[in-house]
Amino acid sequence: MTTEHAHVEEHNHPGPRQYVIIGAILAIITLIEFGVFYLSIDPALMTWIILLLSSSKFLLVVGYFMHLKFDDVRFSGLFFAPFLIMVSIAVVLMALFFNLTR
Amino acid sequence: MQYLSGIDDHRTSTGLDNRKMLMWAFLGSDVMFFGTLIGTHLIYRNRNLSGPQEEILSIPITTISTFVLLMSSLAMVLALAGIQRGNMGQFRFWTAIVCIFGSIFIGFQMFEFTEFAVHYGLTPRTNLFGSTFLVMTGFHGTHVAVGILWLWSILFASYKGKIHQGNSLQVEIAGLYWHFVDIVWIVIFGVVYLIGAYGAEGRALEEVPHAARAVGIG
Repeated sequence: MTTEHAHVEEHNHPGPRQYVIIGAILAIITLIEFGVFYLSIDPALMTWIILLLSSSKFLLVVGYFMHLKFDDVRFSGLFFAPFLIMVSIAVVLMALFFNLTR
Repeated sequence: MQYLSGIDDHRTSTGLDNRKMLMWAFLGSDVMFFGTLIGTHLIYRNRNLSGPQEEILSIPITTISTFVLLMSSLAMVLALAGIQRGNMGQFRFWTAIVCIFGSIFIGFQMFEFTEFAVHYGLTPRTNLFGSTFLVMTGFHGTHVAVGILWLWSILFASYKGKIHQGNSLQVEIAGLYWHFVDIVWIVIFGVVYLIGAYGAEGRALEEVPHAARAVGIG
C-alpha cells in the first residue's frame, strides 16, 4: 500500500481524543459489570444485563478500535458472517443441552 | 525479476488491500474456533461429578486483568494513530505499553492457573470444568502471547527503519489481531466468569448430589 493510500484510509478513522473517550467508556462498563455481579438479583436478569453490557463493549471495540464502522463494509461481512454462524450454532446447542441462567 | 516489480502493491480488483482482507478472513475463522471452545465450556457447565468448578473463579482479580487488556487495546489504537501521523515516538511508546500490558495479563493468567492447581487441585484432567475452562482460557493466553511477540518484533523493526508511516498497514493488521484477542476476552469475562460464577457457591452445594443422582451413583 502506498503512503497516499494509507493517508486516505486514515482520514476516515477517529483521532486519539475519540479513542481515549471510547477507552474510558469501556472501563466504566467493566466497572458496572463488576458492580452488577455483587447485586442480589434474579440470575436471569443478571444474565441479560451482563450480555447487554458485554455486547456493548464488543461492538465498541469492533466498531471504533478495529475501525469496522469506518472501513469498507466487505470487511464487516468477512467478520460477521462466521460470527453469526458461530452464534447460531451456539444458541441451538445451548437450547438443546444447557440452561444459561441455571 | 521484472515480474516482481509490482509486488509492493497489494490492492486487488476489489479495491481492498489483500493483506487486510486475509487478516479479517483469519479473524472470522478464529471467531468460530473460540465459539467452539466457549460453547463446549457452556454445554458442560454444572455437569461435574467431583472437584471444584465456577465457585473458585476470582471476579475481583479477573476484573483487573480485563481492565488491563482493555487498556492495552486503547494503547494499540494510539500507537496506530501515532504511526499514521508519522509520529514514531508516539508509536513506539504506545506499542511498548501494549506489550507490557499484555505481559501483565499473561501474568494474571499464570497466577490464576497456579492458584487453581495448587489450592484447588484443578488441572485439565480433574473434571469437565477443568478441561473446558483451562483449554479455552489457555488458547486465549496463547493468542495473547503470540500478539506480544508480534508487536515486539514490529517495535524492533521500527528501530531498523523497516516500519514507518508508509507501511503503517502492517501495524494496523497486527492491531486487528490484538483487538480480536481483546473482544474474545470480553465474551469470556462476561459469559464464563460473571454469568458463570454468579451464585456459583450456593449452586455447587446443590448440583453435585443432583448430578450424582442423575447418573445413578447418588
